[in-house]
Amino acid sequence: MSALAPEERPPSPGEPPSPLPAGARYFCTVGRGLEPFLTREVGARLAATEVEYVSGKVFFTTNCGLTMLKQLKSAERLFLLLKKQPPLFISSRSKGKVFNEIQRLVTGDPLCWVRAVSIWRSLLELEENLPPEVAKPSKRKTGENENIITKKLKIEQTRVMPGDTECQLQKQKNDKIEEHKDLTTEKENFQEEKSENDGEKEVEHHQGKLTFRVSCRCSGTIAKTFTTEEVGRVIGIALIKQFGWKADLRNPSLEIFIHLNDIYSVVGIPVFRLPLASRDYIKVAGLRSTIAWTIASLAEINVGAVVLDPMCGLGTILLEAAKEWPNASYLGADVSDSQLLGACDNLKSAGLMDRIELFKFCVTELPLHSESVDVIISDVPFGKKFKLGKDIKSILHEMERVLCVGGTIVLLLSEDLHKYLQDYKESNITWNSSKDNTNEFKIVKYVNAEEKNRIQENVSPSFQDDRQEWLDKRPLFGTLVQMECHKVSLGRTEAFISKYKKIHDSELQQPS
Amino acid sequence: MRAQAGMKLLTHNLLSSHVRGVGPRGFPLRIQATEIRVSPVDFNPDFVTRMIPKMEWTALVEAAESLGHLSELPRQLKEGYEKDEDFLRKVHHVLLEVEVVEGTLQCPESGRLFPISRGIPNMLLSDDEATS
Repeated sequence: MSALAPEERPPSPGEPPSPLPAGARYFCTVGRGLEPFLTREVGARLAATEVEYVSGKVFFTTNCGLTMLKQLKSAERLFLLLKKQPPLFISSRSKGKVFNEIQRLVTGDPLCWVRAVSIWRSLLELEENLPPEVAKPSKRKTGENENIITKKLKIEQTRVMPGDTECQLQKQKNDKIEEHKDLTTEKENFQEEKSENDGEKEVEHHQGKLTFRVSCRCSGTIAKTFTTEEVGRVIGIALIKQFGWKADLRNPSLEIFIHLNDIYSVVGIPVFRLPLASRDYIKVAGLRSTIAWTIASLAEINVGAVVLDPMCGLGTILLEAAKEWPNASYLGADVSDSQLLGACDNLKSAGLMDRIELFKFCVTELPLHSESVDVIISDVPFGKKFKLGKDIKSILHEMERVLCVGGTIVLLLSEDLHKYLQDYKESNITWNSSKDNTNEFKIVKYVNAEEKNRIQENVSPSFQDDRQEWLDKRPLFGTLVQMECHKVSLGRTEAFISKYKKIHDSELQQPS
Repeated sequence: MRAQAGMKLLTHNLLSSHVRGVGPRGFPLRIQATEIRVSPVDFNPDFVTRMIPKMEWTALVEAAESLGHLSELPRQLKEGYEKDEDFLRKVHHVLLEVEVVEGTLQCPESGRLFPISRGIPNMLLSDDEATS
């Protein structure tokens, strides 16, 4: 796997030392399908230990500070872990008994809460001492707020999964949106508050009465009997009684996040105001930033690589790639003027105009030499624009042509496209193999030039399993071999991140 | 806000006309620039060293010359250039710091013109012109 920019190092001179030498335990929410990538990322970037994951969440311990934590690219949101325990026992018990158990999340171990809040406070104090670009949400021009708010709304909406009732106490979502509006339209007041002296003010505020808000998510068995409001209320009241905190739904200093389902009960404190997935360097995201980064991370972008996105849209994948792997040459192309204009805007906001160049051309007619590109990364349009069949083949044909031998392609494919390509691959083989009298298939060898390993798949007569393996290694298309494929969630729909490599003609053996 | 960026000579070196029937004679595209921009880019010797073998050297020199930015580049690559920092810096300048913001690219075989507008070359072909 190509190295991430090495981030696991002791704090550099300009960076404040971590207040937690022993480390703290965190968890991230993560889009379904991206868990393995985030798991790998926390290890590489944060030297994380005790890493484990369940669907939608990755837990880990690290002593890295906020600057490093903020670098996480495949995560949705980051939380300080307060509690993680087995799911609440619901079954045939009375509602009252279950409420008691929910209460015990607070009263059962108050020290745990005190400790977590104290860690949270020290992290926060540190954040206030950080330079403005890191600590504060990005300053956006007032004119563009509406688009951003609508887009955030859309993203929030698409993230609600079926059977999941996510509901914060008293329409917190609306509060969040209003809060967002407050942030942007009342920029003047906000900036006044965040003056240099404010660091001290905020700390004082925290030492005093803590204000909090509980945000609940329930799914599975518990969601059938309890509303998230009920659960939130029980927790809220327990917190007020136990610690004397004050509830504040509009602008609390502390947020408590609770997720109860059939697999676990998790309580955490969000570390940042905005989700990690919301990048301050991306003005208008096309594809979800976490998916875009993951696509780029699979592509093995080395120094001096020529990287192409021939259907770049607003340039999200190129932005994520250029930000993480700056020492490569990035080309983006699209047929739509409005998309190119948007991409241009994005590049400017991100300060990446030097790294990424834009063109107007079509993916089925690439005006590039054969074997001139090292990496192709792209989100293949899902909708009516590209019909299945002829077009995807001409797209792959052109990509194969311009790609260097040993080069990588990573594509985001809709379920339909993915299925179509799988069927195409298999039907190709069936046709070829029907010429065979015996049931023996020839060996497919390929050499991964970088690893300098020779991998051979020997297909034995007990061929059912072997045939599947062989099928998988069989070139999808010409000299493109499928390496990996990952199913990921895009909110309401699912998609596949598919990786291919171009092998040399001579490495490819046809069944006779 | 920064001014418009443009097409770099590094990328120009990868571009080829794909007008039907033109084949390999569609390279290199002749540059006619009406607006050029020179802007500093951080020097990374590793990057430059790796890029040089990917370039069509003669075409690069020609293109740089046509823009008036030959910058003492030799017409032939010499051995051991990886260690010559002076040389690498010159190459860096030509590859990354000279940008065509407005102008045209011309297919040397068919004469077809591709406009560069606001730094973005438009290389879309009509259906009849295209190869397939």
